[in-house]
Amino acid sequence: MKADLAIQEAQWVPRAAPHRHGGSTHVDVMGSWTLAAGIVGLCGAVLFGPAAAKVLLLAMLAGIGADFVVGYARGRPVVGGLSHASLTGLLLGLTLPATVPWYVPAIGAMVAVVFGKALFGGLGHFVWQPALVGRVIIQIVFWPTLSLGGDNATAPVLAPGHLLIGRLEPAVQVDMPGYTGWQRLPRPDEPALRMERPVSALRAFAEGHIPPDGDLLYTPLLRDRLPPWEDTVFGTVPGPIGATCVLALIVAGLYLIYRGFLRWQLPTAMLAAAGLAAALLPIESGGGDGWDWFPVFAVEQGRAVGVAYVLYHVTAGELMLGAFLLAGDMTTTPMRARGQIVFAAGVGVLTVFMRLYGVLEGECYWSILVMNTLVGVIDRRTKRDVLGMEPA
Amino acid sequence: MSLLLNLLGPRRGFEGGLFMPEFKAATARRPIENITADRALFVPLRLAESWQTDIVVSQGERVVRGQRLATACDGRSAHVHAPTSGTIAQFGRVWTPREGYLPCAILEPDGRNESVPRSLAWMSDSFVGQLTDRGVISPSPLAPAAEVLRRASAAGVTELIVSAMETEPYLTADLRTLVEQPGRLIDMTCEIADALGVARALFAMPYRHRRVVKRVTAEAQGRYVEVAALSNRYPQCHPVMLVKTLLDREVPPGGSPLDVGAVVIPLAMVRMAAEAIIDDIPVTHATITVAGDAVEHAGTYRVPVGTPLRALCDRVGLLGPVGQCVWGGPLTGISITRDDAVITADTSAILLFSEFEAREPVPCIHCGWCIEDCPVGVDPALLAQLESESSTDALTVAHLRACIDCGLCSHVCPASLPLSATIQRSRRRLVPGASAAEGGA
Repeated sequence: MKADLAIQEAQWVPRAAPHRHGGSTHVDVMGSWTLAAGIVGLCGAVLFGPAAAKVLLLAMLAGIGADFVVGYARGRPVVGGLSHASLTGLLLGLTLPATVPWYVPAIGAMVAVVFGKALFGGLGHFVWQPALVGRVIIQIVFWPTLSLGGDNATAPVLAPGHLLIGRLEPAVQVDMPGYTGWQRLPRPDEPALRMERPVSALRAFAEGHIPPDGDLLYTPLLRDRLPPWEDTVFGTVPGPIGATCVLALIVAGLYLIYRGFLRWQLPTAMLAAAGLAAALLPIESGGGDGWDWFPVFAVEQGRAVGVAYVLYHVTAGELMLGAFLLAGDMTTTPMRARGQIVFAAGVGVLTVFMRLYGVLEGECYWSILVMNTLVGVIDRRTKRDVLGMEPA
Repeated sequence: MSLLLNLLGPRRGFEGGLFMPEFKAATARRPIENITADRALFVPLRLAESWQTDIVVSQGERVVRGQRLATACDGRSAHVHAPTSGTIAQFGRVWTPREGYLPCAILEPDGRNESVPRSLAWMSDSFVGQLTDRGVISPSPLAPAAEVLRRASAAGVTELIVSAMETEPYLTADLRTLVEQPGRLIDMTCEIADALGVARALFAMPYRHRRVVKRVTAEAQGRYVEVAALSNRYPQCHPVMLVKTLLDREVPPGGSPLDVGAVVIPLAMVRMAAEAIIDDIPVTHATITVAGDAVEHAGTYRVPVGTPLRALCDRVGLLGPVGQCVWGGPLTGISITRDDAVITADTSAILLFSEFEAREPVPCIHCGWCIEDCPVGVDPALLAQLESESSTDALTVAHLRACIDCGLCSHVCPASLPLSATIQRSRRRLVPGASAAEGGA
């Protein structure tokens, strides 16, 4: 009887079809991306200690604050603001090393939200990934802090036994030629180890700064300058907070792919293209006496050093962070999967190209921004054929 | 090997589309239930505003089941018959979801449910004549069955496709009909194919229901009906997509399958034809799915035409207040705004939901899901921007016409943009001579 009343008094609102929605809203999308970035940030906080947590937190808070100010200035709250601003701040924090002063992540996140997002018209309107806009701007502004040379030639990472709570200073300098890996190290008294970033070693090698040892070209790099490869996968090497732990990045990426918010084609194409570029593009073979093409086929002393060299290129540096978290932003990538493959392949090749021959640091960030610029062209070239019409 | 092929499903198909959550568990296993008329029926005397019918009964007259209430004036309209025996209390008007207000006869049932003796002189001998006599219609596009067959003959079709694909969630009327009377449906498909003189007759049904497919295939053994088991990726049920999947022909934008030499007939018309020809019962009932989270006894029901929504709700029971009521499927249906709506012969489902699903739209975030899922390959986000334009170019007009109003773009949009509704509005405004139903033919 009660149910009968319910229908008699009903005032139903007319609405156009469809009457039921699919599961995901933009809140789910932002939340999942934040969760994925949070997984990586958590691993970064474990690997780099409270300093990293502070950087990430500051970046997030600054992003939210900037979004709030933008909303206040425009007189109305920004749509989807809080979730997207915190995601932007978090992503920016992941691209920074844990040793930066407190104002760098704060200013970076504000720049990202204001210049990267709000000036373009807010959510859904920006052309370049906002976090990366903030990253490259502060990279220019705070050059001495963020450059890889000079005082920053080496960087710290927490030592075994000091994870999560250790401080990055004071650090003990690691003697790279005799370094057998983070896991085999006894627990030192100093809480951190200071060593060269793997990506700096790769860049120095490409510039010909690592002289060959007799007729051995790749061995000096692999033996004397780089940590063991598994260290670059577990993340126990210096670098940006979110970029070193490849395992966490893969888990985060798989989660996003499972939720359907990242197309698997994008990271796959990006990593494959980067690997291919590293495998094929020539390097200067020391002393300027010519180029060594196809490094992947190099074999020295019966060891496939070329393959190891390519693997280092894929896991060291920011490529993995870019592939799984930064490049996949929905607004700044092509609409269709095949467009995203083109986009991601471009990012991968450009990253390795800039790493080998370029001077810009943070090559993956710049490559993503360059390819973001080309998204319109890619979208126009990868339109679908309409049923019943001649292909354009 | 055949089992493996069955499991893997067919490879052919269209680009885009989406596998939907089905929500059919509650209704798929319940047999079709007859609902008897115990309260006044508001029988619409024509099914569309543009149809022309003459009333042949008078107020106070006693009618029996199957007696004609209104007779069609021309070939584009269909006769209307009394769903049960009773007295014509008066004439009035009634609200239908698709056509708005229509004239109706208010029939007070006497509970005896007497029917017309079978030897009446209105039996014509030809197949199409019998369809016309018993008021058989095709629900989509809404037309008398005879008119559908006439148009198909005029277009010179070579293929007949009977569509038993119900890829929209909740709908199970066709599935239940297939389970309960597969032989009659195959018989009637053969009859229709005979009447049209087509070269091939295809019977499209979802391969997901493998046992039903087996039974129907067994019934079709030795007949010239080919049973085609298709994936139930939405909108495979749409005629344009069926023609693409089964015949690999592409219907031009804004056209209908008739343009490429095929006719697609909904199973509901075959079911009505089977009742009319084999059981000699005119179209007086609609077989509809009543489902949704507000319904207590969700199922497939055979409801007398003219049953008010309130009476139907009393019969199936409600679990609580109804927040939204939909006529038809959840993706293409029409929202019912009045509780005095009635069940018409072209109804396929009534969905009663406890909550009105309203989401605040936000700016497009360029996820590309609408493009990826669009079955015809247009860019819905781009077309939706035409809302503020006063004119557009020929290519965009073609894209607007190519849209089949499946509603997937709005369904998947994470920004909750009303894409398909905007495209429909733009088409009505910008495409010369386009109706709201275009593309749905």
